[in-house]
Amino acid sequence: MDSTIKLTVSHAPFWHNGSGISQKSYNILLACLLAVIPGIYRYGYPALGAVTLSIGSAVLWEFLMNLATRRPVSIGDGNAAVIGMLLAMMLPAVVPWWVVVIGSFIAVVIGKQIYGGIGGNPFNPVAVAMAILMLSWKNFLDFNTALVGYGFAFNPVDPLVLAKSFGPAAVKDFKLGDLLMGRQVGGIGSSFGLGLIIGGIYLMIRGFIRWEIVLSFLVGIFASALCFYLYNPNVYASPGFHLLTGYSLIGAFLLATEDSSSPVHFLPMIIYGCLGGMLTVLIRNIGSHVDGVVFAVLIINILNPLLDKIRPKALGKVAHHA
Amino acid sequence: MRRRTFFGFVKSKLRYTTVDETLPEPVAVAPSERVTLFFDQPYIPGEKLSLHPGDPVKKGERLSLTKDAGGYALAPKSGRIENISGFLGIGGRRFTTVTLAIDDEAHQTLDEGFKSVYQSPSLKNAREFLAGLPGKPNLEVFFNPQRPVKSIVVLGVDSDLVGVTNQYFVNNAIVAIKTGIDTLRQISGIHEVILVVPHYLFKVAGAAGATIKTVDSAYPSAHPELIMRYILSEQSTPDVEPPSDDGVAVFTAEAVVAIGSAYKTGFLPLEKIVCFVSKDETRRLISVPIGTPVKDIAEAFHEPIGEGDRVIFGGPMTGVSVYSDNHPVLADTNTIMIQDRRRIPEVRDNPCTNCGACVRVCPVNVPVNMLIRFLQAGRYEEAVSQCDLNCCIECGFCSYVCEARIPIFQYIHLAKLTLAGMNPVEKNNG
Repeated sequence: MDSTIKLTVSHAPFWHNGSGISQKSYNILLACLLAVIPGIYRYGYPALGAVTLSIGSAVLWEFLMNLATRRPVSIGDGNAAVIGMLLAMMLPAVVPWWVVVIGSFIAVVIGKQIYGGIGGNPFNPVAVAMAILMLSWKNFLDFNTALVGYGFAFNPVDPLVLAKSFGPAAVKDFKLGDLLMGRQVGGIGSSFGLGLIIGGIYLMIRGFIRWEIVLSFLVGIFASALCFYLYNPNVYASPGFHLLTGYSLIGAFLLATEDSSSPVHFLPMIIYGCLGGMLTVLIRNIGSHVDGVVFAVLIINILNPLLDKIRPKALGKVAHHA
Repeated sequence: MRRRTFFGFVKSKLRYTTVDETLPEPVAVAPSERVTLFFDQPYIPGEKLSLHPGDPVKKGERLSLTKDAGGYALAPKSGRIENISGFLGIGGRRFTTVTLAIDDEAHQTLDEGFKSVYQSPSLKNAREFLAGLPGKPNLEVFFNPQRPVKSIVVLGVDSDLVGVTNQYFVNNAIVAIKTGIDTLRQISGIHEVILVVPHYLFKVAGAAGATIKTVDSAYPSAHPELIMRYILSEQSTPDVEPPSDDGVAVFTAEAVVAIGSAYKTGFLPLEKIVCFVSKDETRRLISVPIGTPVKDIAEAFHEPIGEGDRVIFGGPMTGVSVYSDNHPVLADTNTIMIQDRRRIPEVRDNPCTNCGACVRVCPVNVPVNMLIRFLQAGRYEEAVSQCDLNCCIECGFCSYVCEARIPIFQYIHLAKLTLAGMNPVEKNNG
């Protein structure tokens, strides 16, 4: 049985469908551009600077952590770039540079790398970073104060703030079509709803994000906002308004669907998404924060391991009765 | 390498190859100088064997390593024993190989052992002569008094992709299958025979005179273990773990045809139908004597096997890549694939990213995303108790779709082997 040539020997299977982490990351980045480019168009160079700084510093933090932990360099998989991109999308355009760098540090190092890198993080790294930034440097992240230097053709006040402080009557000038087209102040890549929706649908069709989570998250927002709205339309804004303002869409498409911190079985995904949507509206309508998406995502991330225990019985397995 | 579909939200589907796509008639390929036979016994140098280098061997002769050994092989050609040595297979399984230098076609001599008994078919002489036939019929199941056989399952499907051997027999030789089934009924006295075929062969299969069950065309529905679980769950009480295959004897369509033909003609069929896939993925159906080295088959089709290429026995999902171009066709080899070294998909040591692709494709609902975490950490007992490791049917689909390119199937295999190796030790100590 001697062989004259050296053959490659490895374990089955010998085919692969060709998917890869970097392929997924680059597709997500591509989809994000649909929302980011209109943002850069609207907010100009500061927005471009924030996006590039955020992606660049996120990749750099990842690289430094690879060196520090003596692990293979993983910046090629594109996950750090996605984290940087998502972080920038949620920030106001004129945020100070050091806030961006600290944000990407929190996301990449504290949100992901200290848990062992990709796949190990219990929370969405971007949501962790945003939560810490929002609590620590409130003023820099408040869209009303941050974007004061711009002259917009629309009401330059964060619609969520308006609705929360003065009731839905104050935001009746915001038409849903305008909100969808991004005629509202907000993050660089989180206010142009149409781009997020098209990009998100692309990602869902390609299977890069799990459609179950996205849809149930949106349904969760819509249903619970509708309950509030029907209960008292003079105090609570309409469900459509909630869907198209703040971080609702970016949360549904890109934050809640982060692989490592979300469930994979069908029923858990639905519960996870619905809960996220409900919590978002609860925090917005009766909590003290203006936008609830980031905190809602963090809370459902905590529930993920528990939820994912709900799964179909394996074929051939027997329940052992005590 | 296969491409992922553009529409990734639908569950990945892999279709089985159907016989219509391949050549209708198999091309005969002959071994050039030697054939090699495998014996399921470890080789211990210096042990007294009943075979010796230099011994003459007749075509169709029963060869067993020791006098009292249960296992034997049938010599596919007459010739002389050239060499006896050991072989280490996948998962540390030890075999003994016997290489025969074969006589040329004009000087083939036939063994008459079976000729003297074939007119009185019985389980006893089937066990004595037919266990080495193509398709590797397991006739020992009829001789276990603890587990009397109640029904016979004939697999007219091929468990892995690409292979079409059994489908070929259903499509082209259903009469021969019927003869084989009738012979099996006659010698075993068991009347319940279930023939499992793909949907598209349902009409053809009706002529076999057995209960027909069909399976889906999507991988891995024709996996024997899955078929057994479904058939058994219809027949017996579920809630037995692992699903008990008590009372069922499983044969491939090829084995059934070989048994039927042996008793009909008195000659032992020793040619195996194999699907040979060359580097450019052309499929050829070939008929080749058991024991023929893969090198000879590749040469017959001018297919060079080069440094770093991969030679796969079995299908692309569950096969075994061999380390020698002298590796012979075995009695249960349905597919041989040559893969160019530039087309070998790479495997990486990424951690699981929890994307859930494996969970969506798993045919038996194993939580692969959790399982792989336990396996990578080497915590095999927890993998069994919390993640249903033992329910895995080893179809390899999870590795095929893994985005992080983790060799999940290899981890599963390793864990099962390790656990299987531990249990006897525990029993002895307990």
